[in-house]
Amino acid sequence: MMLEIDRLTAGYGRVRVLHEVSLSVDEGEIVALVGPNGAGKSTLLRAVTAMIPDRSGSVRVAGRELIGVAVEDVAAAGVAHVPEGRRLFPGLTVRDNLRLGGWVPRNADLGPVLEIFPRLADRLNQVAGSMSGGEQQMCAIARALMGRPRLLLIDELSLGLAPLVVDEILARLGGIAESGTGVLLVEQDAGAALEVADRGYVLELGRIGLSGTAAELAADPRMRSAYLGGDPPQAPVS
Amino acid sequence: MSQFLQATVYGLLQGGLFALIAVGFSLVWGVMNVINLAHGSFVLVGAYLAFELNRRIGLDPFAAMVPVAAALFAAGYLVQRGLINLVVKAPIFITLLLTFGLNLLLVNGLILIYSGDYRSVTTGYAADGFALMSGVRVPVGRLLAAVVALLLTLALVAVMRRTRTGLAILATGMDRGAARLMGIRARHVYALTFGLAAAMAGAAGAAVSAVGTFNPADAGRFTLFSFVAAVLGGLGNMYGALIGGMVLGLVEAWGGQLLPGTLVNAVAFAVLVAVLAVRPEGIAGRAFYSSRVEV
Repeated sequence: MMLEIDRLTAGYGRVRVLHEVSLSVDEGEIVALVGPNGAGKSTLLRAVTAMIPDRSGSVRVAGRELIGVAVEDVAAAGVAHVPEGRRLFPGLTVRDNLRLGGWVPRNADLGPVLEIFPRLADRLNQVAGSMSGGEQQMCAIARALMGRPRLLLIDELSLGLAPLVVDEILARLGGIAESGTGVLLVEQDAGAALEVADRGYVLELGRIGLSGTAAELAADPRMRSAYLGGDPPQAPVS
Repeated sequence: MSQFLQATVYGLLQGGLFALIAVGFSLVWGVMNVINLAHGSFVLVGAYLAFELNRRIGLDPFAAMVPVAAALFAAGYLVQRGLINLVVKAPIFITLLLTFGLNLLLVNGLILIYSGDYRSVTTGYAADGFALMSGVRVPVGRLLAAVVALLLTLALVAVMRRTRTGLAILATGMDRGAARLMGIRARHVYALTFGLAAAMAGAAGAAVSAVGTFNPADAGRFTLFSFVAAVLGGLGNMYGALIGGMVLGLVEAWGGQLLPGTLVNAVAFAVLVAVLAVRPEGIAGRAFYSSRVEV
């Protein structure tokens, strides 16, 4: 397993957001973490990369325990986190943002990430904060990939983006996973996420509700009614 | 007329020194959101170190810039790492208080060791000069100080723009949390930043010791001028600090021609208020570190 989370409890000060959450992501697998606003999806990612200090349980990446590891050591453990709101360095160029992504492995080879997001190639000298939202999201994912992560965490990829752009970016995740990187995708747009994911988990009020393969979840009536905008389950007609 | 030209030349030369002092102050403010009230006392520590090196081993004050800058870099790194990092995320009032205390400590320490007497380092050449045109004299020491100051300021800008370390400093200044996610050690970067600023201040102090007299009470003046130059130019913008320093040097020189000495500071602040009223973002405009995110 690339990522194994076992009974992770986390929160902010006295407020617990996650209650003994367990999930896993395998090598080369795309796992979607969906659920309503405020369920704790972003908190889970932030707990994995030590962006919130109050956490207990176990978070293992490629066998290495991350509880007790500081934020700045998470990249060296092979984890890249595309945070909510993208958090690019707004005043720096795309090139510098990408170089910073390759900070730990001292990776300055932009070729592979530009192959995944060719649109960035024309924007290398542009200040990151002046790009469109979609391009910024591509830049944020490309920056994360520059660290050659074994596990890629993406928070709210679709936030504020047009559906066409979201599809374009989601379509790239398959290629990223093919190289062996595990991807944990946090999304409010459950339908879009489950289309590209292998498996999925539904987080509700800090606990895992449903889980299964993406196809199972997409077909699950509880899922359909709550998150996929489908019809409520019909009473069986006899 | 020649009096005005002489003041202009003097102001530009003095402005170069102000720029060197202000650029470090501006860097620390921009990257860490710390207004370092002890910045001026670092200049004085540099001046007294150069004074000591000259007195004991006869080292030229401009040559002394190198060891003085190295010593202040180390001291600055340690001060940030061991002291200011403890409160760097606290409200700005706390860091103001801490650096104010540090300033008191340094200034009074210097008074204890050296008394409040004015000192200077005399060299064989600093007082020499040449005539630029009729009636306008350029002292060699001041010219040398201004040129070295400008070169150091431009070198700092180059380091920030071109090197891996400089990139890490800028990135940490823009978004500390995101920088840490990249694996950048924010505490180390902050200490490097503070060390660099202290080194620039120390080098400026060595130059100050060669071109005029100084005593520990000058620390406040240097901090004040750094503040005005940094805000005047545009906060966190290093070219801004350079421009701000130059403007300040000119204002001081021209004001000194027309007004009694104590009013010069008032003129400097009047210019600051006037510039901010017209261009609140400072002369050089958009700051390097726009849209800071604190995590």
